[in-house]
Amino acid sequence: METFIAVIFGLILSGCQSATPPLGKSGSELVVQGRAIFFNETFDGNGRTCGSCHPAENNFTIDPAFIATLPDDDPLFVAEFNPDLKENFENPQLMRQFGLILENLDGFDDLEKKFTLRGVPHTLALRTSVDSPGGPRTGWSGDGSPGDGSVRSFATGAVIQHFTKTLNRVAGVDFRLPTEEELDALEAFMLSLGRQQDLALPLPLKGPVPKRGQEILLDNSLGKCTLCHVNAGATADFGGGNIGNANFNTGVEDLPDQPAGLTGQLILPDDGFGTPGDGTFNTPPLVEAADSGPFFHNNAVRTIEEAVAFYNSDAFNNSPSGRILASNDPNGVGIRLEATQVEAMAAFLRVINALENIRVSIEALEASAQKGFFERKQAEELLKNAVDETENSITVLAGGGLHPQAVAHLQRAKRLEGKAMDSLFFKGKRIQNAIREQKLAQALLIDAR
Amino acid sequence: MFRPLIGVMGVAVLMLSTAFFAHSQKATEIFIPIGKSPGVSEKITIIGKIESIKTQQKTITVAGATETWTAEISSSTHIWVDRSGLGLSNQKGRFEDLREGLLVEIKYEKGDGERKGPAEWIKVKVEDAG
Repeated sequence: METFIAVIFGLILSGCQSATPPLGKSGSELVVQGRAIFFNETFDGNGRTCGSCHPAENNFTIDPAFIATLPDDDPLFVAEFNPDLKENFENPQLMRQFGLILENLDGFDDLEKKFTLRGVPHTLALRTSVDSPGGPRTGWSGDGSPGDGSVRSFATGAVIQHFTKTLNRVAGVDFRLPTEEELDALEAFMLSLGRQQDLALPLPLKGPVPKRGQEILLDNSLGKCTLCHVNAGATADFGGGNIGNANFNTGVEDLPDQPAGLTGQLILPDDGFGTPGDGTFNTPPLVEAADSGPFFHNNAVRTIEEAVAFYNSDAFNNSPSGRILASNDPNGVGIRLEATQVEAMAAFLRVINALENIRVSIEALEASAQKGFFERKQAEELLKNAVDETENSITVLAGGGLHPQAVAHLQRAKRLEGKAMDSLFFKGKRIQNAIREQKLAQALLIDAR
Repeated sequence: MFRPLIGVMGVAVLMLSTAFFAHSQKATEIFIPIGKSPGVSEKITIIGKIESIKTQQKTITVAGATETWTAEISSSTHIWVDRSGLGLSNQKGRFEDLREGLLVEIKYEKGDGERKGPAEWIKVKVEDAG
């Protein structure tokens, strides 16, 4: 009956024009324009868009599980069906198996022997995580953008590296470069994604294990995390004030038995920042970590627990960063955590990630509820976003065996969000009920602030 | 008890293990035609035609619309040949590729917009594939 009525209304109103605001120069309109470019513009290249590697439905990154859901003709797999890109553009096996993307960061003069394979960094919370006194740091080694090195310029380098029709990479033939206006819009969109400010730790968390994890993170004699991840973000403070986003050599490259290396495929060492590289890599924020693995620049570890446990490893404690921490420790220890402490820290990271996902879900639901009939496409997209974020919250908490009651509320929220997507007349009520369930889950994770 | 403040030496060494000064990535810059480098072209670079070359001193003088500049080519200067206008792939170049009359774009090593001294990179536009 509901569907029938919806059809009738649709027929009656289909002659009316939707009130789409014209594009202009206001901040929000630039974000809308940037969003359209990010997900739709191929820059006359091989068919990829920014969204090919940074899809919204997967936290703006890709991993093997997500990649497995894509059809074989998805532009992500262009190296598998474009004969001009069959060699030396990607390694399809390593992309599908480990989510690794090929990059020629040390130059394009020897494609067979000069490349790195890196995971796709998410583009969330960039406003909090790229600035440093020496200039912005983009990408896994902090030097990801050409030109002036800014977030704004990043798309230019990405188009050249990833969008080209052939390995000649001729501007105007194999792709077109983004215009100044497009760069402005893309920058506005990317900076609008996710958190716009850092957390203020400590948070009044519930649950003894995540609470203990937060304590360990903040303890500069134990976890030592906030030296490089202030407030679980991406900036550093060694005691003299925040120095912004920084690079460090933490020894990830020295991990033995890295998954991609076990395949027998050619994996070249990645020397990080600069050419030749200095071995350092950029610091990502921790809030977004738990649902955006695998981890580190080369996707070396899969779970957040493994990522935390890395800092116990010989690879880390023998690295320049590990040795510095040890030299300033009265017991000569870099980082040494017992298994229970690793679990506690991972639990904390899972909870703050879930809290962020809940925040985004509520925001999307409230925004969806505000959309009128002529904005139903945007309302649907916002609801879809809420469903994706709620799914992330559930996966992150349940994956750590955390807060089962909160998980139950989130599952109810997800069902309501799905029903709201299919509903015309009860959409508003279902959205409000979903918001209520989200807030109930939130209240089980953290005391009201 | 772990000292709340890492010692000055510790900070200095930690800094040495970090890349304190951000740099733009050079790898894809080679493929960006003259005048199209984002945030850089004509903001801190100069674009003009080579007026003269001093081979021994490894310097070139470039004439723009209203002024001239001189740039030094050091061992670390990247020289790139812009063949995009011919529909061909850009390539690494050499000092010998810099010839009078050719259009160039120069980014100086001094990143603060001071347009003199050694060049960080030079793009030179060629009109024929030979």
